[in-house]
Amino acid sequence: MKGGVERVESTARTERAISLIKGMTDLPTIPAVATRVLSLLDQPEVDIDEIADLILTDQVMAARVLKIVNSPLYRPSQPITSLKGALIYLGLRHIREFILTCAFIQSFEGKDGVLGVKPFWEHSFGVGIVARIIARKAGYRDTEKAYIGGIIHDIGEVFLSYYFREEFQRLVDRMKEHPHLLVEAELEEFGTTHCEIGLCMAREWNFPDDYCEVISCHHTPLQATNDPRLVAIVNLADLFCTVRRLDYGGKEWVRFSLAEEPAWEMVQGEGAGLGDFDVERFCYELDDQVEEIRELVQNIFKDR
Amino acid sequence: MSAKISDKDFEVLRDFIYSHCGIYFHTSKKYFLESRITRRLEETKAASVTSYLGLLRNGAGKSPELSKLLDEITTNETCFFRSPPQLKALETAFLPEIVAAKGKIGFRKLRVWSAGSSSGEEAYTLAMILLEKRATLLKDWIIEIVGTDINETVLAQAREGVYNSYAVRNTPEFYLKKYFREEAGGRYVLSPEVKKLVSFSSLNLYDDAKMVFMKSFDFILCANVLIYFDLASKTKVVQHFYNNLQPYGYFFVGQSESLHGVNDRFKTVHFPGGFAYKK
Repeated sequence: MKGGVERVESTARTERAISLIKGMTDLPTIPAVATRVLSLLDQPEVDIDEIADLILTDQVMAARVLKIVNSPLYRPSQPITSLKGALIYLGLRHIREFILTCAFIQSFEGKDGVLGVKPFWEHSFGVGIVARIIARKAGYRDTEKAYIGGIIHDIGEVFLSYYFREEFQRLVDRMKEHPHLLVEAELEEFGTTHCEIGLCMAREWNFPDDYCEVISCHHTPLQATNDPRLVAIVNLADLFCTVRRLDYGGKEWVRFSLAEEPAWEMVQGEGAGLGDFDVERFCYELDDQVEEIRELVQNIFKDR
Repeated sequence: MSAKISDKDFEVLRDFIYSHCGIYFHTSKKYFLESRITRRLEETKAASVTSYLGLLRNGAGKSPELSKLLDEITTNETCFFRSPPQLKALETAFLPEIVAAKGKIGFRKLRVWSAGSSSGEEAYTLAMILLEKRATLLKDWIIEIVGTDINETVLAQAREGVYNSYAVRNTPEFYLKKYFREEAGGRYVLSPEVKKLVSFSSLNLYDDAKMVFMKSFDFILCANVLIYFDLASKTKVVQHFYNNLQPYGYFFVGQSESLHGVNDRFKTVHFPGGFAYKK
C-alpha cells in the first residue's frame, strides 16, 4: 500500500502549495503577446508576417527575440537585424519554443530571490539543452518539447526563492553544512516543494498537461502517466547538469548512478536504446557547453 | 613556439586520443595540446598536423608515435590535492558510507590503494585527509594505505617524503601548516605521522600473479596509468581492480579518463565535477 500513502502525502503537499500561492497578487504572468503568438501558431495556415506584426506590438519582446537569436545558442552566420529575419532563420517549427523561452525570461525579470535569476536561467537552459541532446540520442520524437520541458522544469524554484527569502536562505545555509538535495530540504522547511508550487503556477498559466507533468514529476519520474519518457529525459538532464556545475552555483551535492536511476530505464524506447551511449564522454562534452550556456545567459541579461 | 591547430584538426586529434586511451581534452585545453604536440611535430618532421595524424594512425593503435605522444601529454607530474572534486566526494560522501557499512559488521579497518603512485603525492594526500578523521569518523579504526609503482626511483622519492614547492602548490594552507615542515630552498618535509600511514612497494599492474594478492580495498585510485596500456591489457588490469575492490568500495581514475568500452561490470557513480566506479 506504499503507493497509496505516497499519493496522500503528495496531495497534502499540493494543498500546501496552493495555500502558499493563494493571496499572492504579484505572481509572474506570461506576456499577453506570447499567448497570442502561441495560439496563432496552432492555426493550420500561419503567416510569418502576421506573427512578426504581433510580436512587434510588444517592443520588449521584439528586442529580446533579436538578442537571443543572435546569441551563441543559435549562432547565425551573420547578425540578424530584423524580426522577420529572425523568424525565418528559426523556422516555424522552432518559433514556438523560442517565443515561450522569451516569455519566461520576461515573466521572471527582476524576480531575483535567494537563487538569483541568472543562475536560475543557467540551470534551466542547461537542462533544456541537455534534455534535447538526450532526446535526440534516445530517439524521442519531439526534441523541442524536451528542450522546453528542461527550460520550465524548475519554475517553482523562482517562486520559493523570491517570495520566501528568509526561509529559503535558511535552507540554503543548512545545505552548506549537510549537503543534500534541494527538494528534500524544501519539504522540511515548507511542507511542500518546488515541484508542487511549479505545478500550481503552470496550471495558473494554462500550460499543456505534458509540461505540467514535467514540472510536478521531474524528481519522481515513476509517478508520470501522461508522457513518462519526457519526464525521464528531463530528470536525467537535471542530474547531469547538477554534476556538471550548472546547479545554482553548486548549492546541491548530488550523486547518482545511471544503472540505478529509474529514468535511465524509462528513457530507453523501443528499438532506440542508449546502450552505446558513452556517458563519460558526454559529461566531458558538457563541460565545454557549460561556458557557452553561461555566456548565453550573460548575453540575455547584459543590459538589464 | 607552439604549433597552431585548427579547430577541426583539434577535434580529430582529441577524438583519436580519447578512443585510444580514454583521456578527453576539453576545448578549453586546446592550448595544452598545441604546446605538447609541437615537440612531436618537430621530431617527426611532420609537415602539418594532418600528416602527423596519418603517422599516429599507422599501426592501428599500436604505433610507436602514439606512445611518444602519450608521454608528452601525460608527463604532467602529479601533485598533492590534485583533484578537489574527487577528494571531496571521497571525504564527504563515500567514506562515511563505507564506515557505516563496515561499522555495522564490526570490521574497523580501512584499506586504500594508490595504484601507479609515482612519488607518493596522492597516497599521502589521502593519508592526511584520513588522519583528520581520526578523532571522529575513524576513531579506533586501522588505516592502511598502499602505494605501488613499477618505477623504483619514484618509489624511493615517495619513501623519503621530501617535496618541492611545485608539488604542494594545490595544498590547502591548513594541511601545509599541519603536516609539512618548510625548509630552506623551498623544500617541504612531510611529517612522520603521515609517512607512517603509507607503505610503498614495487608492483607491475600487468603481473597477474602479484595482482591477485592485492585484496580487499575500500578505495582504489589509479590516475593516468591505464592510458599506457592497450585495450586488452587495460581490460585485464581493470578486472583485477574490480576483483580487489570491496563490494561497497570505490574505484577512481584520472580526472578526464574513462572506462567506457573497457569494463562494463563497474557502475559509474556521478558526483559534482567527476565520477567514480563501484561494483
